Amino acid sequence: MLVLTPTVLLAACAFDLAHVTQIPTQLRATADRSGFELQEEVKVNIGLGYTRVLKKGTRWLFVGRIAQGDVYRTNDQVLTLEASNIHEAYIVVSSGTLVGFYLPVEKSFSLLQETRSLPMKELPRQ
Amino acid sequence: MRNALKLVAPLAIAVVVAGCATSGLKYSDAKGPAAASDPNLGRIYMYRTAIVGLAVQPEVKINGEVIGRATPKGYFYVDRPAGTYEITTTTEVERKLSLTLDKGQTRYVKLNISFGFFIGHVYPELIDTDAALKDIKDLQYTGQ
Repeated sequence: MLVLTPTVLLAACAFDLAHVTQIPTQLRATADRSGFELQEEVKVNIGLGYTRVLKKGTRWLFVGRIAQGDVYRTNDQVLTLEASNIHEAYIVVSSGTLVGFYLPVEKSFSLLQETRSLPMKELPRQ
Repeated sequence: MRNALKLVAPLAIAVVVAGCATSGLKYSDAKGPAAASDPNLGRIYMYRTAIVGLAVQPEVKINGEVIGRATPKGYFYVDRPAGTYEITTTTEVERKLSLTLDKGQTRYVKLNISFGFFIGHVYPELIDTDAALKDIKDLQYTGQ
């Protein structure tokens, strides 16, 4: 019984060990850019063994800026980060490179370990 | 032994069927619109396809408010104002999905089941509309 109890406790805790690393940040909503269309599929390793695919042809609309880059969202596909919990995510782009994700509910930034260049075609301004 | 099986098999089937959504309207037969009727609201569908872990049917909460249960082969929905939401399910652990909702938007959340230590975990996952519509078409309504 003495051996079993810590084992059970540890196992129960282990279910909640994995978290998406986040830095609180402030989004400055602006409308000085329109957005872009992704020209190729981009596969992204988001850590903890999970990958996400940004689909070819998806249109990403400019939302605003955070300290780490420009924030874009899309209605063309679902994008989430995943660990023990799942968080909807927008992408953060700096100089044409995907550098991380903005979590709109948590209002935080999650850094991408392997940044990815994005083949983009600018959308005309509305 | 054969006689015992003859007795047990129908009972087992009855138990399985009783645990699933069987009485509500099928999604594909539902006449109502998929989107919220009030243009100021968005709609979030919650559904579970898996029969595995039949006995595990936790409550589903949105921002802490109970809105339904993760019934196998069932779906339900809630209409809410645009904003940010957290959908949670709790078995031996709590699992959470955070998402945004716009006016007039329809979102789909699949209630998946995974292995746990004592009992399975149900975790909510945001799903692309095309994939969700394939998943949900044969499920039955379990809402109020």
